[in-house]
Amino acid sequence: MIVAQEPPIRIMLAKLGLDGHDRGVKVVALGLKDHGFEVIYLGLHQTPEQAARAAMEEGVDVLGVSILSGAHETLVPRLMEQLRLQGTPEIPVVIGGFIPDDDLQPLLDMGVARIFLGDTPISEIASALHEIVAATSHRG
Amino acid sequence: MFDTDSFDQLKQKLADWDQRYGSLRTEQEKNKSYRTESGIPVKPLYTPLDLAEQGFDYAKDLGFPGDPPYTRGPFPNMYREKPWRFTQYSGRSTAEETNRLYHEQLEAGLTSIEVAFDLPTQLGYDPDHPMAAGEVGKVGVPVKSLRDWEILFRGIDLDKVYVFSVSNAQASVILSMHLALAEKQGADLKRLLGGMHNDILKEYIARGNFIFPAEPSVRLVGDTMLYCSEMAPYYDARLMCSIHIGEAGANRIHEAAFALANSIAYLDEVQQRGVNVYEVVRHGLLCTTYCNHTDFFEEIAKIRAMRKLWGRVLSERYGVNDPAAQQLRFNGSQTGSPLTKQQPLNNVVRTAISVLIGALSGVQSVDPRTFDEGWGIATREAEILSLRTNQIVAHETRITNTVDPLAGSYFVEWLTHEMEERIWGEIMRIDQMGGMVRAIEAGYPQRVIAHDAYDRQKAIESGESIKVGVNAFREDESGRKVKTYKAKAEVARQHLQELETLRAERDNHAVQNALDNVMRVAERKPQGKDNNLMLPIMDAVKSLATTGEICTALRSVWGEYQQPRVI
Repeated sequence: MIVAQEPPIRIMLAKLGLDGHDRGVKVVALGLKDHGFEVIYLGLHQTPEQAARAAMEEGVDVLGVSILSGAHETLVPRLMEQLRLQGTPEIPVVIGGFIPDDDLQPLLDMGVARIFLGDTPISEIASALHEIVAATSHRG
Repeated sequence: MFDTDSFDQLKQKLADWDQRYGSLRTEQEKNKSYRTESGIPVKPLYTPLDLAEQGFDYAKDLGFPGDPPYTRGPFPNMYREKPWRFTQYSGRSTAEETNRLYHEQLEAGLTSIEVAFDLPTQLGYDPDHPMAAGEVGKVGVPVKSLRDWEILFRGIDLDKVYVFSVSNAQASVILSMHLALAEKQGADLKRLLGGMHNDILKEYIARGNFIFPAEPSVRLVGDTMLYCSEMAPYYDARLMCSIHIGEAGANRIHEAAFALANSIAYLDEVQQRGVNVYEVVRHGLLCTTYCNHTDFFEEIAKIRAMRKLWGRVLSERYGVNDPAAQQLRFNGSQTGSPLTKQQPLNNVVRTAISVLIGALSGVQSVDPRTFDEGWGIATREAEILSLRTNQIVAHETRITNTVDPLAGSYFVEWLTHEMEERIWGEIMRIDQMGGMVRAIEAGYPQRVIAHDAYDRQKAIESGESIKVGVNAFREDESGRKVKTYKAKAEVARQHLQELETLRAERDNHAVQNALDNVMRVAERKPQGKDNNLMLPIMDAVKSLATTGEICTALRSVWGEYQQPRVI
C-alpha cells in the first residue's frame, strides 16, 4: 500500500538493443501508472549507455529494461557496468521479456534485482517493485 | 431479402420463441457481457432479421468467389484445385544453415518460404556496427550482401518457389538482391511470383523496426512499387500488413483499419507524384494478417470484411474499378502472443484452430507458429509439426471441397457487415487527422494499440478472459524443459570474417561510386517516375555493397526516425 504522503515510485522503462517488441513494456507502463507509479518510458533501440545515463539524469528509483531478442547476454552486463562506471550502482535494475531459463541465474548473479517473464500479472510486478525500492538505500 | 409478410411473420415467431425460452436464461447469463474481442456486443441468436436490418443484399454484399466484392474469396475455385500455400517464418544464424533448413522444409512439403532476418539486417546495420553487438544471427538470418542471398537460395529456383521475406525498413535492398538473383538464375522477372512486407508505416506504430523518418520511408515504398510495376509486375513488392498491428495488441477493428490506412498512404504517395494509382495495384494486393484463435468468428469476419473494403478504397478514393486490381489475397499468420509458455503442447491445438480459421476465411497461405514459441527459436521438429498441422487441416478434413462454406451464416454475415462499417469508420478518423503519416506523428495509432493491449491484459488478469495454463487450469511447471534452437556463440565472429573477406575481394571503388549515387538520388525529390531510388540501390547491391552500407548512405541524407513519446 502506498501511504498518502509518500511520493510515487519513479521507474524508467526502456527497450534495450534492436528488439522492437514493445507491447509488453507498454502494457507494464500503463499498468504501473494505474498502480500509482510515475513511469518514464524511454522507447525503443536504447543502448545500455543511454539507458544508464537517462536513469541517472532522471534520478529514478528503479530501471526496468525489456528484451525479447536474446541480446540480454551482451547488453545486460554492459548496462550493469555502465551504472557502476557512472557512480550509480545503487539504482536497482529489473528485466522484463523473454529470457531462457538457463540464463536467469547468471543475470541475477550479475546484480539484476528481479526478472519478470511473460504473463506475470502487473499487480505482482508492482508489489515486487515496492519491495525492491524499499530495500535499496537509494531511496533512503 | 424477403417480402413484408414473411418478414413480419418471422418477427412474430422470433418474439414467440424468445417468450418461451427467455425464462430459461439464468441470472448469470443475463449479467454476463457477451462481446467479440473488439468489443462488439453479441446476441444469443442471429436470424435473417438481423441481415434484413443491415440491408443485406446477396449480390452486393457477397456475390461470387473470384468476383468483386470478393467477400467469398478472391478466386472462383479456391481450394478445390489446390489448398492454400503452407509457409513457415524461419531463419537460422547463417545463410548456409538457413539454406539447409529451407531444403528440408521443401522436402517435407512446405510450398512457400518465408525469410526471417536477424535484427541488425532488419535495421540496416552490418555485423561490425556497435548497435549489432549481441544481436547477430539471433532471431533470423543475417544478410550482409548479395552473396548471402545467393547462398540462402542455393539449389532453390526463385521462379518455382514462392519466396516471401519479412523486410520493411531495408526492403529496397532485399528486393534488389532478390531480383538480381532471380535474373542471374535465368528467371523471367515479368512472371516472377513472391513478395515482401515493405510496409514501413506499421513499423512505427507496431513492430518498431524502423530506420528513417516516415516521409522518406514512404517515398522508398513508392519507389519500390513503381519499380516493380514495370520490372516484376506480379511480384508483391508491397504487402498490406495487419499482422504486426494485431500482434502489438490492436483489436481486430483497429488492426484492419490501420493496415488499410497505411496502404492508402502509399497510394497517395504514388498519386502525388502524378502517377496513376492503377499502375501499382493492377494485379491486386497481398495482405498478411493476424490469424489467431482468440475470437474465431471475428477473425473470419475481419478477413471477409477486409476483402470488401479494399475494393471500396480503390473504387471510392482512386476510381480504380478493375476487378483484378480490387482482388485482395491473404496470408493468414498465427502469432506468438496468444500462445503460452505454460503447458507448451497446448499450443499445437491453438495452431490447428488458427489454420482452420485461415481456411474458413479463404486465405491463400497460412503461416503457423510453433508450439515452442514461448521458449525460444523453434527447433526443426517443431517447425515440421506446424507444417503437418497445415497439411492435416488441408488434406484430412474435406473442408476444401466447397468454396466459402460459412457464407450465409446469419451470424458470420451480420458480423462481417458490422466489422466492415466499424473498420471504415476508423479509416475515416485517420483521414480526419490528415492521413496515417500525420496520425503517427500525433501518436494516435500507437496510443490506441497500447490501450487495446492493456485492455486485453486486464481481461486476463481479472479472469474475464480465460487463457488455459496462465490464469486457469494451471499446472506445476517447475522442472519443465523444452528444447529450442540457439545460435552458436562463434557465429558473430564468422560473420565479421565474411564481411572482411567481402570488403577485400570486391571492387571498393565501384562500391563507393554506387553509394555516392544512392545519396545523390536520395537528396532529390521523386518526380513522376524519375529519381527512383531502386535504380542506384540495385547498382549498389550488384557491386556487393552491404546492407549496412546502403542504409548508412540513406541515413546520411535522411537521418533517423525519432519516436514521439506516447506513454
